[in-house]
Amino acid sequence: MSSPFHLKRAGVALAVGFACAAVPAAAQAARQVGLGTAGNFSVLAGSTVTNTGPTTMSSQLGLHPGTSVTGAPVASATHISDGPALQAKSDLVTGYNDAAGQASTALATAELSGQRFVAGAYRASSSLLHSAGSVTLDAQGDPNAVFIFQIGSTLTTGSGTSVALVNGAQACNVFWQVGSSATFGTGSTFVGTVMALTTITANTAATFNGRLLARNAAVNLDTNTIITSGCAPGTTGDSPTTGGPGSDGSPTDGTDGLPPASRSNRNGTATLQRSPGSPGSPGSPGSPGVRDCAEGFRGTVRGRQIKRVVFRMDGKRIANRTSSPFRVFVRAMPGKHVIKARVSFKDATVAKTLKMDYRACAAALLRPRQGPSRFTG
Amino acid sequence: MRRGVGASAVVLALAGWGTSLAAPAHAGARVAASQPLVELKRDHVARRAPDADARPVDAIPIRRPLTGVRTVLPVLASAIDGKGQAWMRVRLPGRPNGRKGWILAAKTRSRSTAWHVAVDLSERRVSVYRDGRVERQWQAIVGSPSTPTPRGLFFVEEAVALSPLDAGGPYALAASARSEVLQEFAGGPGQIALHGTGNLAGALGTAVSHGCIRLSPAAITWLARRIGAGTPLTIKA
Repeated sequence: MSSPFHLKRAGVALAVGFACAAVPAAAQAARQVGLGTAGNFSVLAGSTVTNTGPTTMSSQLGLHPGTSVTGAPVASATHISDGPALQAKSDLVTGYNDAAGQASTALATAELSGQRFVAGAYRASSSLLHSAGSVTLDAQGDPNAVFIFQIGSTLTTGSGTSVALVNGAQACNVFWQVGSSATFGTGSTFVGTVMALTTITANTAATFNGRLLARNAAVNLDTNTIITSGCAPGTTGDSPTTGGPGSDGSPTDGTDGLPPASRSNRNGTATLQRSPGSPGSPGSPGSPGVRDCAEGFRGTVRGRQIKRVVFRMDGKRIANRTSSPFRVFVRAMPGKHVIKARVSFKDATVAKTLKMDYRACAAALLRPRQGPSRFTG
Repeated sequence: MRRGVGASAVVLALAGWGTSLAAPAHAGARVAASQPLVELKRDHVARRAPDADARPVDAIPIRRPLTGVRTVLPVLASAIDGKGQAWMRVRLPGRPNGRKGWILAAKTRSRSTAWHVAVDLSERRVSVYRDGRVERQWQAIVGSPSTPTPRGLFFVEEAVALSPLDAGGPYALAASARSEVLQEFAGGPGQIALHGTGNLAGALGTAVSHGCIRLSPAAITWLARRIGAGTPLTIKA
């Protein structure tokens, strides 16, 4: 081919009204990347997760083997150096290798801006840059169309850039395999699952419809919204939809993905309170000499318009309440624990996650079993 | 284009006692605030490398021999092999002292502990840390010059409640350490423990034991109610 960026579709040139409607010719077909349990995470990192400002994600946050999450990003559950996080990291390696190993067509330029891509796997031997404007992913009416970008080094997007999904393209079918680190510009919107070998940095107010999965190093966040949605087979949206929250084709103002009419009906409130009388709670006579610990945790979510509360401890689901009182009691192994209550509402109020720490007393729980004395003495 | 990690495993050291302390912890030294642990959910084989074909180091049973509690081991590092299987490098109990090995992460449960026990043999003192800070300190009896307490990085295998008639009651924290002098003692494998002074002679602050660390009944009771299996144990000269 003389240039890989001639517009072709099944060998027939199309006259499409885009300013720069070029696609690589003879794009290699791509198949769905198997993420395993890593698909359950909005953010997954290896060393640390740092955050500044109010960052929310619709799915889970995971970290392994690192243990430091700073800045309190809000997630449906958090797994820090535990079994689910380890398994997800293992599955991420599999997914990363799957994406990297698929046959691909080399990109002619390292600049994505203004490009239009049909389904397929594309390869950038070095870095890839999306400096301005929009890049378009065109599913050509196939909701199962898969887009894979294999990037040898870095992926960088500029401020205010966006990724447009057209003709049925879905964020769940877009994968970015990054050989080193990915950086997303301030206020940019991005689509797809980013699998970076090293670090992922999302600058202020960048929004995502997908996942940020870093194999070995950090994910750095700053006032970001990360929506991780599943596929909707059969969807064939014809109108271009800018990726990121609200990319379901419905009209939005780009703030939270809800139609403006729905936003006026948000009266829900919720707070999580530790109930008095938790056995061994601080100050009670049940745990002398142990700092701020309790034998058990008893908490209640109170508020308006509450439809359902799912309680989790250290990421594991412990209770599901669909009617008042929205209450939970748990008695845990000694040590620090995190209780989270995911609250959904009857009206259009956006679901929220409430969090509270709980330290189970060691003194009240450990009772060594009887055994023989066979030591050196 | 990077095409995966190849056959060699990616090894990730864990921040914690296992790797972050260049020098053994003792009273006044820095101790990691938390130690990752792993609880076995089946018998495992520990290997020399994170590879199913690597040479076995030892078979690790799911339960400890004295009380039957689940085996809990400190985790030092993790790795993913060329087949995508997750592995953990763990400390192992038994001889020779200080053994380590790799076990598959499958059929295990991740835990952690904020506790750390440190023994200073020259000061004959036991310090217990929580979240990296000293919580309690006691005088202790340590091994005599002819049967010294082994030094190194170990962990608590299991806590044992002893009968009033047993030597060393009322409790013992059985350690992963073994005596380097006594191959067998009292029907056991020369296992080192922190235990009480019940039915035993000797004054606290002396070096007269056969290698174990003896504490007052009050001190060992306090420990036994808080220190669980897998808790790091550092013994320094």
